[in-house]
Amino acid sequence: MKRSSTAGAILFAIVWFAMLLPVSAQPPPAAGAGPLRMTIEGPGSQLSTIAVSGLKNLGGDDDHRTSSDFVTTLRRNLDLSGYFRNIDPHAFIEDPQTSGFELGQFNFADWRSINSDFVVKGSIAQESSSIKLTAYLYDVAQQRRMMGKNYTGAPGDVRRMARRFADAVLEASTGQKGPFDSKLAFVSTRGGRFKEIYTQSIDGEDLFKLTDNPTINLFPSFDRTTNSVLYLSYKSMEPSLYLADLKAQREIKLGSPHGRVIGGTISSDGTRVVAAIERNGATNLFLLAREGGELRQLTDGNGINVSPAISPDGSMLAFTSDRSGTPQIWVMPLGGGAARRITFKGDYNTTPSYSPKGDRIVYQSRAKGRFDIWTIALAGGTPAQLTDGNGSNEYPSWSPDGRYIAFSSTRSGHSQIYIMMVSNRKIISTLTEGIGNDSCPAWSWWLGE
Amino acid sequence: MIRVQRGRGGWVSSGGKLARAVAVVSLGAMLALAGCSSKKTQGLNDGNNPNALGEGGVNGSGQGSLEQLTKGTLGQGQQGPLTDIHFAYNEYTIQPQDGSILRGNASWLQKNASSRVQVEGHCDDRGSEEYNIALGAKRAQAAKEYLVTLGIPGDRISTISYGKELPVCTEHDESCWSQNRRDHFVVNQ
Repeated sequence: MKRSSTAGAILFAIVWFAMLLPVSAQPPPAAGAGPLRMTIEGPGSQLSTIAVSGLKNLGGDDDHRTSSDFVTTLRRNLDLSGYFRNIDPHAFIEDPQTSGFELGQFNFADWRSINSDFVVKGSIAQESSSIKLTAYLYDVAQQRRMMGKNYTGAPGDVRRMARRFADAVLEASTGQKGPFDSKLAFVSTRGGRFKEIYTQSIDGEDLFKLTDNPTINLFPSFDRTTNSVLYLSYKSMEPSLYLADLKAQREIKLGSPHGRVIGGTISSDGTRVVAAIERNGATNLFLLAREGGELRQLTDGNGINVSPAISPDGSMLAFTSDRSGTPQIWVMPLGGGAARRITFKGDYNTTPSYSPKGDRIVYQSRAKGRFDIWTIALAGGTPAQLTDGNGSNEYPSWSPDGRYIAFSSTRSGHSQIYIMMVSNRKIISTLTEGIGNDSCPAWSWWLGE
Repeated sequence: MIRVQRGRGGWVSSGGKLARAVAVVSLGAMLALAGCSSKKTQGLNDGNNPNALGEGGVNGSGQGSLEQLTKGTLGQGQQGPLTDIHFAYNEYTIQPQDGSILRGNASWLQKNASSRVQVEGHCDDRGSEEYNIALGAKRAQAAKEYLVTLGIPGDRISTISYGKELPVCTEHDESCWSQNRRDHFVVNQ
């Protein structure tokens, strides 16, 4: 993203499916929203520079630990966004404890002289059980405040406040909220030889081990509240779906009289599950109520129908079927109706995931013995390739803002999870500890929405 | 048909079939279970006991591939009276050269008329996890149907698929892939 200032106009370049779709600019901002407009640039353009200053201690953060947690997490997430380059804090001239953080209480020249396009300043007031945090985003060239947020919460919430503020910085600077106040669920063998399910923040913090059984656990999916995780486990020594309620810390097992459950996904509203159920070698998809009661059989045949993905509005289902002779992606109305094949290029296309707008599918497609990630518009058109032959690239999942995908890749020699910016196909992060194999990433909706 | 697993201080799993009856009783069952549930800050450890197999499982031999994974013996050789068969990539048709192996397995099962067998379908590590579980189910079913045509009663044969999850060979080349694309036969006498 390149940012340049003119007399009264800020040009924000965003690359938004520039390589995949016809140029589609964001709608112009409403009157009073500031002189913001969008242009489209190709990848490799210059990033905006941002300086994240320490928070002014208004009491209770005398060792600046809370400030440091906020600043470190915010910098990390802004780095991840692919829009910003953080200025090294050693270059900062101003001391946040002696200067103010409100407009007029500090000198923009201190930030302009270190070539910062934006500066984040704020304050922290902390008591034993609560913190009050204020943060502002300033445009240095225009010497104006672009955005401000107040957060209150427990001291342990400060990293989440930083992620929410990072999302707000992206919204203020590009017109679209960032995706970092969310979770990634994935499968990992990092604890040993067993595949267990973990969740963590996109910035790599807050690792949580969801399953702990010495078998195989696969296919986590969140509902939109992110309180429910559906997953497949062999922990009873045969596969079954489990719906875990993270808040209540309990789960229910979803079996079936129709056969063995070998996969599934939960709808974004959390009310329904689509399960892949195998009987006598044939695998078909069934629509279930949240707690397992069968609502409808969706596919019927002797073949393989797996990898269900429900559209964000709950109306459509994408899945993999071999009914045409090879595994291909099909879509059908979840309420019943004919299935329509949407992939025709390649002889092995699978693991579909919907974009948040529901207009595109991202999936894995085999070529030369490996898989790559592709996307295709549901309205039709040519598929667009996102990865190209660097290891086997599998199991894509879209971020809630639609800018990024998480997927697994064997490009390092073992399977790790990568986050890619869709617009320029740039890898912005690798989620790994360097041990074990990570797979099956599932990106949640925003937390608390 | 509600089965309950209570973990070692872990979460409570209430499970059941998806019959209408469960939909009716599950809410009550969950409410009843809620009182038993002890809280835990991390993880869903249901205290799984590898000897407590779920329905459809075969117990006794300890030679099931998932039991071997749990014990850490997977890939160290699998003993048993029956011989594995192998498949072509992304195929589940019994290969002609495996007919004699299946006839030998059937012969053993006929001589040991009280035995039961679980056919495990396995895949190589190419392709998606879920598709491979479905493909492994096809492979297990193909062997079951073959054994039935040879006179083994279908109710003595159960099937399960582990997809690509339990390879006996972990290199990423055809010599390993061909070993992993297999049906493994686990006998419970």
